[in-house]
Amino acid sequence: MLKIQDISKDFGSLKALNDVSFDVADGQILGLIGQNGAGKSTTFHSILNFLNYQGTITWNNQPITETAFDEIGYLPEERSLMPKLTIEQQIIYLARLKNKSAKEIKPQIDDWLQRFAVKGNKKDKIKDLSKGNQQKVQLICTLIHHPKLIILDEPFSGLDPVNADLLKQAIITAKEQGAAIIFSSHDMENVEEICDKLVMLRNGQVILNGTVREVRQSFGKTRILVTTDWDKEQLLNLPHVIQVDCHEEKRFVLTLDDETAGPAIFDELTQGKYIEEFSQQPPTLDEIFRLKAGERHE
Amino acid sequence: MNKLWIVTMETFLRQVKSWSFVMLILGPFIMFGITIGAGYIGASSGAGSDQIAVISQQLALRKSFIKSDKDDVDKSVTDKKIAVKKMDKNKLAGYLELKITEGKVSGHYYGTSSLSSGMKSRINNYLMQTQQQINVTSAQLTTSQMQALQQQPTLKESIKKKTGTANLAKIISFWITVIMVYMILNTYTSITAQEIASEKGTKIMEIIFSSTTAVKYFLGKIFGVLLVILAQVLVYLVGGWGAYIFAQNSSLTKGFLTQYHALIASVLKNLLSVNLIYLLLGVIIYTILAAFSGALVAKAEDAAKAAQPVIMLNLAAFFITFPFQNNLDSILVKILSYVPFFSSYFMPLRIINNDASGLEIGLSLVILFVSIVGLAAYIGKIYQGLMLQTDDSSFWKRFRRGLSYNK
Repeated sequence: MLKIQDISKDFGSLKALNDVSFDVADGQILGLIGQNGAGKSTTFHSILNFLNYQGTITWNNQPITETAFDEIGYLPEERSLMPKLTIEQQIIYLARLKNKSAKEIKPQIDDWLQRFAVKGNKKDKIKDLSKGNQQKVQLICTLIHHPKLIILDEPFSGLDPVNADLLKQAIITAKEQGAAIIFSSHDMENVEEICDKLVMLRNGQVILNGTVREVRQSFGKTRILVTTDWDKEQLLNLPHVIQVDCHEEKRFVLTLDDETAGPAIFDELTQGKYIEEFSQQPPTLDEIFRLKAGERHE
Repeated sequence: MNKLWIVTMETFLRQVKSWSFVMLILGPFIMFGITIGAGYIGASSGAGSDQIAVISQQLALRKSFIKSDKDDVDKSVTDKKIAVKKMDKNKLAGYLELKITEGKVSGHYYGTSSLSSGMKSRINNYLMQTQQQINVTSAQLTTSQMQALQQQPTLKESIKKKTGTANLAKIISFWITVIMVYMILNTYTSITAQEIASEKGTKIMEIIFSSTTAVKYFLGKIFGVLLVILAQVLVYLVGGWGAYIFAQNSSLTKGFLTQYHALIASVLKNLLSVNLIYLLLGVIIYTILAAFSGALVAKAEDAAKAAQPVIMLNLAAFFITFPFQNNLDSILVKILSYVPFFSSYFMPLRIINNDASGLEIGLSLVILFVSIVGLAAYIGKIYQGLMLQTDDSSFWKRFRRGLSYNK
């Protein structure tokens, strides 16, 4: 288990992290969300001992030292490999730095390249690969030594939907094998789809922490999905409706300032008649993200 | 396998497999080969026209001349006609006709140009010695009379130590030392700074530092570069030794080596001494500084710029030696022989000048060694913070942020 307790980090006058605490159990996926500059990468850097910080970070109840590095797979936000090496040389070099022998890794390379549908030969130089394929090779480097703690900084950025699915599958497989996984993302759909827990940072502070369901429920069922002949203006005049978004023709999302107004709105819209769709739900992660990020400027 | 060793070997193998390293190693040997080859071709093409033929009815006379000067004689020519033909084809400088008539030895040279003074002197010597032998025989002298006649005058040379070979050896050693130190430091500071800067530019450092500590990685890089230097020095020592053996046996260079044997031995003694330790430690301290310099740039494109500060420092140390080549007793030389980054130039010069005691050499080495350890420890500590600053912000902002990683 990865346990982070009250960590803080200042860069001069900038408070990058302020009493951040959360944990990730084995076989659990945690999504770390927040706007740019919220402190996600600094949190990762603290876990990896890249910088000095105040507070405590432990992995399986031990401070993270070089020995623990062998159990960690890390994908940084900046995509980077050594361009003059071949795919095989690159994977083997980084795996050897994780205390795996070339003998152990070499037979696995073809299988991993196939799993991630990397176009090219393992003898191809990194610099000759497309950006997408370089990214996939980097993911292989992160995962090939079967890490117990996987840290992925914006792993989905730059991936097309097909490759994003391949990555999701790889993350889920690692989770099933018992790895603790923490990743940052701006894509809330991915977070909602595969994360067990999420933590949201704002200005270096934790503002949301819990399972995806808990976080969503904590905002109340303030979201109504409805299919109706009413127009936007009519809907906005309903009691406690503060926002109306039209996603498809006749299909609206109403945002309420009071979840208890739901039954009254239902009565008003149906008036005892049949209605095609009416669903009162908690807000989506995307909506929560926008809401919480917006508070920053208030 | 130890991660330090993995980084060391990766750095070493990547460098030695590169074309630039191969060219760096082969360059001096190619130059040596071209020089020897050109000399050989020149000597071969001109050899025939420099030689003379010796013609004589008295075979013993001809034989004894050839024995005394075989390098200048074309032995294949035995009569005048062939000699004239070869002269016409410019394959012979001329021919010398030798004869003894009524106890008198005479020589007559026929040629396309005058004999060189050296050749003329050798022929005269031969003729005089032969005439003297004939005179002694015909005079029927007793043994004691013969011994009295064979008395030769002697000429002795007494050379003061500060002049002649010893002084020349110091000047040659001075220049070889400063140029060698400058070239090696320049080459490897550039290689190190560019290696670190371009690696930083690839932004792979976060992955590396999630696998091993920055200090281990930093030291691995330094050791890798040092292995490359050792490989180069080893190749040069073996190659130099081979070239020396070759030169000793080659007719082109044999004479030169024999003539300057004492000078060469003296220069080699100056170079293959504690000065090599200064060279090695100098490379280490400059390499550490170059690694630091490389860690300060943000982009791979700036890799070439990264080496500039260290190259300038090396250049300054190199040029400061110039005014002191004939004034190695200066107080400034003494001071700089203890200052890290300069001592690798100045202490070897004092050692060549026999101007440094064992205690002074030891003290200078200790200062250099402690500086290396201190510098490596400090840079190793801040290295991670510096290497992780890859954004496009200003130099000072990146530098301050890099330092704050460890606060």
